[in-house]
Amino acid sequence: MPSWTDFQPFLITGLALGGVYALSGVGMVVLYRATGVLNLAFGAIGAFGALISWQLINSSGWNEWLAYLVCVLFGGVLTLLYGMIFGPALAHRDPLVKAAATLGLTLILLGFMDILWPSSGGQSRSISLPTDTGGFMIGQVQVTWTDVIGLGVGVAITVVTGAFLRFTKLGTAMRAMADDREITATLGVPVRRVEASAWFGCGVLSGIAGVILADLVALDPTTLTFLVISSLAAALIARLQSITVAFLAAIVIGTVDSMITPIQSLTNYRDMTPFVLAVIALLWVNRRRTISMTRQGV
Amino acid sequence: MRSYLHGTSVRLGVALTTIAGALALAFALSSASQASTGHAVARSASATSSCGPKPGVKATGSPINLGAINTKQPGTDFTDISNMAAAYFACVNANGGVGGHPIVLHMLTDATNPAQIAADAKQLVTTDHVLGMVGNTDIIECSVDYKYVQSIGFKVIAAGIAPECYSTPNYADVNMGPRYSSDGAAQYAISRGIKKIVFDQSNVPGTAYNVGGVAAIAKAHGVSLTQLTENVPITDANSVAIKETQDAGPNGAVVLNFTPPEALVILQAAQKLGLENKVKMWACSTPCNTDFLAKALGPAWQGHFYVNAELTPVDGNNSPTVQLYKAILKQYGSSVSGGIGSFSQMGFTIGEIATHALESVKGAYTVKSVNAAFEAVKNYNTGMLCRPWTYGPYKLHIANNVDYTVTPKNGQMLIAQGCTPISADDPGIAAYRKAAGG
Repeated sequence: MPSWTDFQPFLITGLALGGVYALSGVGMVVLYRATGVLNLAFGAIGAFGALISWQLINSSGWNEWLAYLVCVLFGGVLTLLYGMIFGPALAHRDPLVKAAATLGLTLILLGFMDILWPSSGGQSRSISLPTDTGGFMIGQVQVTWTDVIGLGVGVAITVVTGAFLRFTKLGTAMRAMADDREITATLGVPVRRVEASAWFGCGVLSGIAGVILADLVALDPTTLTFLVISSLAAALIARLQSITVAFLAAIVIGTVDSMITPIQSLTNYRDMTPFVLAVIALLWVNRRRTISMTRQGV
Repeated sequence: MRSYLHGTSVRLGVALTTIAGALALAFALSSASQASTGHAVARSASATSSCGPKPGVKATGSPINLGAINTKQPGTDFTDISNMAAAYFACVNANGGVGGHPIVLHMLTDATNPAQIAADAKQLVTTDHVLGMVGNTDIIECSVDYKYVQSIGFKVIAAGIAPECYSTPNYADVNMGPRYSSDGAAQYAISRGIKKIVFDQSNVPGTAYNVGGVAAIAKAHGVSLTQLTENVPITDANSVAIKETQDAGPNGAVVLNFTPPEALVILQAAQKLGLENKVKMWACSTPCNTDFLAKALGPAWQGHFYVNAELTPVDGNNSPTVQLYKAILKQYGSSVSGGIGSFSQMGFTIGEIATHALESVKGAYTVKSVNAAFEAVKNYNTGMLCRPWTYGPYKLHIANNVDYTVTPKNGQMLIAQGCTPISADDPGIAAYRKAAGG
């Protein structure tokens, strides 16, 4: 078993990743509460945006920050368009159908990314934020500003979103829609506008997560698309309701995942971390729930 | 109802317009960087005429069908090798072909699925009627197909990975594969006086085989070894890089055996965390030998990172073979997405050897005559390898077992050590040299 000193760098990287998972998890929870849609395309949209940024920087010579802004806006606009075009048609469908529809968007985006930015022949791309080169030491552990941003953005988004939902009119409307969409509509709340805000906000978060994860993890369409699993696990642990729980769950997932790395006997199983933690949390939450079954049609 | 339909059609129209616009933008962006290659193609047209017997005369005879199977899955894509072999054949076909016959390479892919691989091989033989296989590069194809290949009398010319690509009579490779290339990287590190090796590789079938040679060489030199594997695609490269450097220590070496994208994320993570100096050296098997990796890593790695190169380094090399390789890549290699690098070099060398063998066939092109010609290749100087290449009637084939070491400098991979035999401390190498009389 490694010593505590050995574990310390893994804690730093885990917190940074957990912060980005948190920002993704919060985005998913907010969208679900407002629209009832579990957005499985979150990672693919972020990945597409990050690849557009990479292309703008490397082929068109754009300023880095401007290119990253394009990624964020791309996430917001594409998600908004999806929500506006397909949202109304799916509004009254089962949540599973709504989630499956976003999976369709995921597959379409993955296909286009494979065509536009192929990985054959070992081709690889990378985004390196200017914040990678600066940082500070905590003891013997190097902390980059990107690590700080990863965690800081997660915390900031959670706090700001919490305040937004609690103290603003739009946030109150979103919370009301989460309770009952029909009654909220009859009370005169502009449902479409509230939904549009949620779609756009979720998309912006996917763009931000896409850029940071492209730096912290890899600028690879498949990797970024399926990193959504960790955020999804955090959102499920929060039962798609509490952004605070989603934040904490994401931090735990990122940290545990990273801290397992130096333990030889467990390291190859660390990809299971989100699933295992989600199962444990859901079993714990439902420990007192009674399941009744009746036999019908015998 | 009409209004609902109108609304639906408007939304559909908006959706289609949006998708079309986004695609147009994305295609424009992705093609921007490739726009300048057209002129280069025109300029290099004459440079490729030496690949066939009749410059500028298109081969119009009946085709000689060959087949290839490559892994293609997220994180692992070896199609560039057969794509480059096909580019070589396209060049041959445009310049007279082989006795007037064009060579057609039928290429199939798989995602490390044994059933699919077996089906691919049967499709090539029974549906596409291929006369032989060249350009196979697959994580498990040799393991799955070697008995079938033996039963139909094929002598495959491949760029191998799995153990059976090197330990069976019916496969001979232009490369050394992950095991012997890792041997090369490890023995170079040992020659630099390191005390410990941390060997890290993808968690895919064959990991024990890949590390077997490194373990034998390390043991022979009294160097300790830690073996690691990573699930790919790697989702937390920072943690992987930290773990490797912690395990290796200041007098140790980290030896990587990954595809270029995975190696790159680990090395970039190490660079961000300032870990490149925390171990005595970093090393990598052949896949890392690409210019894009040298460019992506930058100057921080100069003197810290060494890559085993199974084929002749092409940077700063103007030999006729390398000139032809680059010219074919430009003119016929539009589907070779990785460009200059060890994968396309392997494909070029396979195409070169296969064409040389086919030119020696007397009479009709049949399964028997084509594969007999492949097996008969002896001491053929490809210009891409340290030593002439031989197939031979051996029970095992490690035809390429002498190699280079390169290091990144100014965005290129330059030679750090010339042709050096892979250590016979690896029992596989010792067995081959005994069989081949080398």
